[in-house]
Amino acid sequence: MINWNNFLVFAIPTILSWVLASVIFTFSKKNKLGLFFSIFGLFIFGSFIVLLWVNLGRPPMRTMGETRLLYSFFLVATGLLSYLKWRYKWLVSYSLVMAMVFVFINILKPEIHSKNLMPALQSIWFVPHVTAYILSYSILGAATIVGVKQLFQFNKKEDAELMDFTDNLVYIGFGLLMLGMLMGAVWAKAAWGHYWSWDPKETWAFITAAAYLFYIHLRLSNKYRKIALWYLVFAFIMLMITWKGVNYLPSAKNSIHVYTD
Amino acid sequence: MINKSTLLTLSQQGVFFKTSLPTFLIVKMNLIQQNKKPIWQTPWQYSESIFIVLGIYLVGVALQLFLGTFKFSNIVWPVNIIVGLTSLVFVVLLSLKRKSHFFYWLSAAPLSISLIALLIMQTIIMGLTPQISGQLTERPDVFDILGFTRMTSSWPFVLTMFFTIIALCAAIVNRLKTPIWKDYAFYLNHVGLLVFLFAAGYGAADMKRYVMYVEVGNEIPEWRVYNDKKDVLDLPLAIKLNDFVLEEYAPKLAIIHRETGKAIPYEAPVYFQIDSLKLRTSIGDWDIEVHEFIAEAMRESDKSYRKVPMPGACPAANVTVINKKNKQKYTGWVSCGNFAQLYMPLTLTNDYSLVMTRPEAKRFASYVDVITASGQQESAVIEVNKPFTVESWNIYQYGYDTDTGKASSYSSFELVYDPWINLVYAGIFIFSIGCFCMFWIGNNKRRKGKND
Repeated sequence: MINWNNFLVFAIPTILSWVLASVIFTFSKKNKLGLFFSIFGLFIFGSFIVLLWVNLGRPPMRTMGETRLLYSFFLVATGLLSYLKWRYKWLVSYSLVMAMVFVFINILKPEIHSKNLMPALQSIWFVPHVTAYILSYSILGAATIVGVKQLFQFNKKEDAELMDFTDNLVYIGFGLLMLGMLMGAVWAKAAWGHYWSWDPKETWAFITAAAYLFYIHLRLSNKYRKIALWYLVFAFIMLMITWKGVNYLPSAKNSIHVYTD
Repeated sequence: MINKSTLLTLSQQGVFFKTSLPTFLIVKMNLIQQNKKPIWQTPWQYSESIFIVLGIYLVGVALQLFLGTFKFSNIVWPVNIIVGLTSLVFVVLLSLKRKSHFFYWLSAAPLSISLIALLIMQTIIMGLTPQISGQLTERPDVFDILGFTRMTSSWPFVLTMFFTIIALCAAIVNRLKTPIWKDYAFYLNHVGLLVFLFAAGYGAADMKRYVMYVEVGNEIPEWRVYNDKKDVLDLPLAIKLNDFVLEEYAPKLAIIHRETGKAIPYEAPVYFQIDSLKLRTSIGDWDIEVHEFIAEAMRESDKSYRKVPMPGACPAANVTVINKKNKQKYTGWVSCGNFAQLYMPLTLTNDYSLVMTRPEAKRFASYVDVITASGQQESAVIEVNKPFTVESWNIYQYGYDTDTGKASSYSSFELVYDPWINLVYAGIFIFSIGCFCMFWIGNNKRRKGKND
């Protein structure tokens, strides 16, 4: 019977393959080998989840530790899916590193295996909602970095390809952002009785989404490149407020999204 | 509009890096005015859009000042559907007029961008101002009067949403006149968002939310509910609560200072989760071992506990604690107690005690019979994340008496009436397919430069 005591047996080979995959992706051009090791690690890790699921007799999403297992799995799975489509190697490496962070937390802090999840969080939407947001934030973060790079070289040489790359990242990131938000809405309906309650976190998520929507529409014409790029920085600040800043706002005292982890 | 040569001149001059943002914008506006058509001459572009959107906002502010907060109760069914559909039919009729500059402006990017900007401004104010529901306070301040503390029911916000829905509809109708089906992502995203905003916005007026408290085992079904103003109302729906069950996580152990009650280590308190897999731990200078854990225990004699599954039973654990430094050993029972039993600490020194925390809820569920006005009766199990639906009503597990926990004498439910919900789900469904396409297709380069 597989339980948390067997976690290391699965986690160590997984981490080894993923470290190898990230190194290959970052420093060499052997992308297929990198892909192989990512998938190999994902397979071992997935086996643990399936066996644990069978042993528990229920989906593993009732404790913090179980939820982190699923984060890791879906981060890498979605990262790989995006790679197969978009060939952004840094995105695979990022998702591998993030996934490993969650694996390490599960190894180093065993007590979280039984860390209680309040009833409202016990939902099939929890993991996809959070995974979509984690990936979307990373892609939009990358878009901001590329955008700022473009801003600094704006007067010297404009790079049309870089501009297209920025736009593409925003589209992909925005798609994921909205998917995360819509899944959250469906979940909220089941858990809290309403799909959109203008909770402070929701309000700022709305602002973030609207800010990227503004960028996307502004970029329909190629005229206001510089304003659009500055706007991208603004949108990312809004995103950071949604992610981290909301907890510190006086307006968010009663937010249902402020959890103590 | 500003053309490429002006932009290049502007960039070469390095206007932006040498001056501040406002100066940059003023310079830009002057350039626009020098180089381009006078304002209000068709086709309308950004200047006209910004002016009109600001006008919408000012009209909203005026209405807010004279009429107070927007009352959704004034647009309950069928007013909402009439207003909503009429405005959309108006858009479709406009589109039929040949070469209508006005319709083109309504459907084009400058107006949508201006409206999105206005929405962002208002929601940022909303995100920074604590929001209040219900009636105005006795002495409203400027923020109350301008509607900032009730943003989503303030006139400017409602008007902005109204025009956003119209512009969204115009954008779709415009693209349907000469459809480019290769842009299916455009149609999915915009139609999905339109359906969602229409149903969520106009539907908000028809939504009702109440809370009902039902006594366990009472043979007479409950039909009285409270609204958010604590008024009691009768519903055409009644609930009989046959049983209420509460499952709890195992409690945690902590070592606290006996006077302050603070858990050690003070900088990062450790709460040890009792778990069948892990029976030993150490907190600070103390090693802890759990010998026996009883989820439902009653105190037997002075200091010991026995398994008795009955109302009033509480968790208890037999524990040994050893001081790492002087090897002093303490063994005994600890319990968190509940409404029926006192808590039991294990005293270690004059300063410290081992204590058990109250268990947290893992799952709570109500076994109910729901009876409707038409005489229909259905049995259901309602729990968090698993609501029960009957005739446009959704019944949610809301709460219970947390003091008595498992022995709670009542369970409370939130009853939500939302006849628009299926339309909302349809919008969410279409929109999410569109969003997946965005993720998958990315930015379509072909469109660049064509739209403006």
